[in-house]
Amino acid sequence: MIEVADLTKTYRMGDVLVHALNGVSVTIAEGEFIGITGASGSGKSTLLHMIGLLDLPTSGSVTISGEDVTSLSEYERTLFRLEWLGYVFQEYALMHDLTAFENVALPMMARGVPEDEIRDRVLHMLDQVGLRARADHLPKELSGGEQQRVAIARGLVNDPGILIADEPCANLDSENSKAVLDLFAEINRERGQTVLMVSHEEWHMPYFDRVIRLKDGKIVER
Amino acid sequence: MLSGARVSIFLASRAILRGGKVGTFLNILIIAMVFTNMILLSAIIGGAVNLFHDQTIDYVTSDIVIRPERDERTLFHVDELLDRVNRVPGVARASARYSTGATLSHKGSMVSIPITAFNPRDEVEVTKIHEHIIEGDFLSPADDGILLGQFVAGFEDSGMDFFESLGGVRVGDSVEVMFANGVGKTYRVKGIFSTKSYQADYMAFISWEEMDAVLGARNTDATEVLIRAQSGEDLDLVKLRLLRFGVQERVETWEEAMTQVIADSMETFSIIDRISLAVSLIIAIVVIGIVFTIKTINQRRQIGIQKAIGISNRIIIGSYVAQVLFIWLFGSLSGMVVVNLLLFYFTANPLEFPDGDVVPVFEMATMLENAAWLAAASALAGFLPAWRITRENTLDAMRG
Repeated sequence: MIEVADLTKTYRMGDVLVHALNGVSVTIAEGEFIGITGASGSGKSTLLHMIGLLDLPTSGSVTISGEDVTSLSEYERTLFRLEWLGYVFQEYALMHDLTAFENVALPMMARGVPEDEIRDRVLHMLDQVGLRARADHLPKELSGGEQQRVAIARGLVNDPGILIADEPCANLDSENSKAVLDLFAEINRERGQTVLMVSHEEWHMPYFDRVIRLKDGKIVER
Repeated sequence: MLSGARVSIFLASRAILRGGKVGTFLNILIIAMVFTNMILLSAIIGGAVNLFHDQTIDYVTSDIVIRPERDERTLFHVDELLDRVNRVPGVARASARYSTGATLSHKGSMVSIPITAFNPRDEVEVTKIHEHIIEGDFLSPADDGILLGQFVAGFEDSGMDFFESLGGVRVGDSVEVMFANGVGKTYRVKGIFSTKSYQADYMAFISWEEMDAVLGARNTDATEVLIRAQSGEDLDLVKLRLLRFGVQERVETWEEAMTQVIADSMETFSIIDRISLAVSLIIAIVVIGIVFTIKTINQRRQIGIQKAIGISNRIIIGSYVAQVLFIWLFGSLSGMVVVNLLLFYFTANPLEFPDGDVVPVFEMATMLENAAWLAAASALAGFLPAWRITRENTLDAMRG
């Protein structure tokens, strides 16, 4: 369960204060596939970053499974991200120097999982995203869709409680976008994993159990 | 902790294997050159120090020297002293020297230096001056000639002289000598020697019997007794034995007897060596630091991604430190190869200095010590830029 309470985030851009989030409160149940949407600058990515522990709010709190994650130290947040959260970013965000296999393996290695276990799990994940045959390829040797699928495999390899996806289809064509959304839906359905995905594409909406719509840093629909 | 180190090494190995090869090669080259620079100056200084030591032993003090106690001017009953010293186990030979002030002149050029008398048969066993005769011959027993160091004999072109000289006397020339006791004599120059030791080459020698003639009586005093120890003997032990055999005077090993000027020079060399080491390390830190600052700035986004997916700062910093240590390892090994090639070259072609030929001394302990310093400097230079970037906000870093 994720509980966001009265969350605000204010940036300073030069002399101007920008209120990216303006008192957002929302509760997300375990196993929900949530779409976060809104116009550009509405605060959807900011909200996702707060829930994903990538940034700290100006005020308010984010509680995940009873733990107030906004009060954690930098190191504790890193560990929390590793253990609890999986990420898929718009720009794929893969490590250039690592093959598909190694990119997926990295979060498991950081957790100190034995090598045999890593190998089996990573190959299984790559199999799930249809990239087992491309395991030894570097990101530059993969298409955009393939890179995003590697990123999804990496995001899921530690079996996180929550998958955070920040516009994962923004750089993909509709065919690859559909493949990614189908994969998310399958993961959510079969594993009961909570999925939070930012999107502004209307045709994505049917995939979500619920849509949180933001406008000017406030929730206008939930 | 160990799994974190494993991930750091894994990330570093992939960055090196799949990163820019030219950049890595240039970094290794920088370390190799810095390492060579650190070792080379130290090795030349070590060679110069060795040269000083060898010259002191071979021309000035031999292995051990006996000198009068500080309140005395001479050693008395030198024949008895020589007999006693020559019986001490570990002593190969002893040679007495007697020095007295004199003024030497030749065709208007004048030099005031001590003139030293010795027994040539003993002297050739304790010093190596006889091996460096560049003109004429060494003294023979009861010789009535004079042996001059090259700086005393001097050059016809006074611009080539280091000190006041006789203006270029040659073997066979006559030199007038006025001794401190008022006796004046004219000597034929028997030989001129050049050891390249400033101390030795500014000396003049006559035979013991000739000194007897100057003093007007058989001389039984000496200003010093030089002792050559048998090969492989521990000089401190030989000194101890001399004392046990009843030698009452001031017994000093060559190191103890080295003049304060030379001891100060050694200290100065040591300071120069340490400054050079510090400068080399600073250069290494700055150069590697710049290279890794650029590298981490270029990889800022990748660092941000690593942080975002839960890789700890410790692992990320560790990966950069591991990369720089890899560069250090291969750089230092390459540097050792270069240094050893230089060793072969300089052993065959010593560096020529005015005071002798210097063969740089490359010691494994020094190389390992310098390599350790360089490792610390490299690690620091790799650590700081990575530490700085990992302290940034994750999202800012991800935006590149």
